[in-house]
Amino acid sequence: MQRRSFIEKASLATAGTFLAPYILPTGRLFAATGDRVVNHVVFVLFAGGVRHQESVEQAYLTYQGANSGNLMQNMFTGAAPTNNLLYTPWNPIQGSSLASQGTFFKELEYAQGPTGHYNGHTAAITGNYTDVGTNLAINPDFPTVFEYYRRHTDPAKSAINAWWMSEGLGPYPALNYSKHGMYGPMFGANYFRPYSTFGNIGLDYLNNGLTLQPDDVGRLNTIKNFLDSNFDKSAADLPGIINNSTDRESIHAFMKDVLNRTQNGTVEFPLPAGVPAYEMTGDLINIQYAWEVLKNFHPELTVINTFNLDTCHSDFTGYLKLMHKADYGVGWLWDKIQSDPVLHDDTIMICMPDHGRNDLPNNVYDANGLRAFDHTSDANSRRVFALIVGPAAKVNQNLVLGSVGNPVGQTIDIVPTIAHILGFNDQIPGGMLQGQVLTQAFV
Amino acid sequence: MKKIFLLVLFSITIFSSCKKEVLKQNVYDNVYYEVTPVTLYTSNAEKNKQKSSLQYISILFSDLFNQNIPGSDLNNIGEAILSIGDKGLANQMILERFLTLPGISIPTQTQMNADLNSFITSAYQRFYLRNPTEYEKIYLKNLIQNDSNITPEIVYAAFALSNEYMFY
Repeated sequence: MQRRSFIEKASLATAGTFLAPYILPTGRLFAATGDRVVNHVVFVLFAGGVRHQESVEQAYLTYQGANSGNLMQNMFTGAAPTNNLLYTPWNPIQGSSLASQGTFFKELEYAQGPTGHYNGHTAAITGNYTDVGTNLAINPDFPTVFEYYRRHTDPAKSAINAWWMSEGLGPYPALNYSKHGMYGPMFGANYFRPYSTFGNIGLDYLNNGLTLQPDDVGRLNTIKNFLDSNFDKSAADLPGIINNSTDRESIHAFMKDVLNRTQNGTVEFPLPAGVPAYEMTGDLINIQYAWEVLKNFHPELTVINTFNLDTCHSDFTGYLKLMHKADYGVGWLWDKIQSDPVLHDDTIMICMPDHGRNDLPNNVYDANGLRAFDHTSDANSRRVFALIVGPAAKVNQNLVLGSVGNPVGQTIDIVPTIAHILGFNDQIPGGMLQGQVLTQAFV
Repeated sequence: MKKIFLLVLFSITIFSSCKKEVLKQNVYDNVYYEVTPVTLYTSNAEKNKQKSSLQYISILFSDLFNQNIPGSDLNNIGEAILSIGDKGLANQMILERFLTLPGISIPTQTQMNADLNSFITSAYQRFYLRNPTEYEKIYLKNLIQNDSNITPEIVYAAFALSNEYMFY
């Protein structure tokens, strides 16, 4: 009997050993099969600090003592201002607003931490609030959405499937991977700052380089491999991500092609017909090249930002103009996505600001005598919105959630929401993310 | 007097025999390019620090053009590198650009083939700050001799992108 008991216990223990790795932090016994809502996510961090009043509430100049109106007709439903126009109106590219093509979280909360741009970006990309100062160009403590995606997607995805593209430099290049010990650059995303990569600096220092034919690349690699075989250290510690050789060659060819087309002026501009190229902004440049990445690589996870609205610290008129243009850029991007045979009907786009702006103005007046607004962590600067737009069969259409004083969702919810869309949310270890999936958005 | 003489002689013998061996020597780089004198490593094992991106670009420019990179170019290239997530790819594209710029100090194919030993030795001294081992010299010489399509640009690019060049 003792022997039988021993065998039974040993069998149970053995079975337990096999099962244990599959008991997930969520309490599920087996890993999910990786069911996805769609295969592509584009997250537009509509950043730079967007005041709720001029965006969602369509206040226009109400808080400056004049009329209201909707500056963002691609994203929100509502009539444009009819007088006191401080901008040149661009006809919306979307026939109906993006809010009507998905779920509109009208009142979403940036609940903790300073309302600084780095903090707002980090919360949105890592799904964790942070108090880290804005002037540190360091990788975040918590893993980014790119690392969760690459580490927990099965089969594993190479970095060419994940992209982070920022309007500016500063601390933002460091947001493509974290310094978390379990994740890090081997799970990071590719990164471009298009204004530099494909702008004048890129044209001067990256374009028109020596072109090696495939056979010559083989010769180069033969010599390099020999040289490397006589040295016992590897340059793997270069800061940044490392693509595999196939992906690196693809990205290399892509960059040369896009630089050439930039030089020739044949890259598509996110501008209405007839609007000259000098109307381009930093935000539109980022969107323009994000589309080049999207249509070329069809990545599964792309995060881009806009940032020009931060001019609101001193130039309210410029803020309104740039808000109108950035809205057009987002509409243009969604229009392009719908025109692509791979991305069409298989992409969900999410738009959300990094944070809001203050309720009360600062002491700066612009050239039109309009008051400027900062973002110093008052309650108003914690008010943001989120749009989740996608195919009607996957995303609830024309649904509006949240109201003043009754927010639905937080900015840290976007990471688990993306993980849900791409089917790896259940694989993320428990305790890593504080937010919730915004399930209300999905059919 | 004789004792003092013997003591001095003894001291010279002792101290000279215990003199620390000089591991590094000053040599002149190859005669083709009139590079300034440099201190060579005796072995690549001495290299254990990885260059930063800006160090890499700055040294690469000096090695290819025999002059310091202008500060404005270094700043702009630094921005270009920062704007690309894959730093190895960024380095590769900047190297490819350098290889097409006027003023680059690179031998012609005829010069290379005319004296392969000298070309290989000078490439090792230029990029690695050391002399090649006999094995390295023979292997590369055979490789180049057996493939007439290997150009000096390909060889230089391979050196500039190799792991050893990333270290000092």
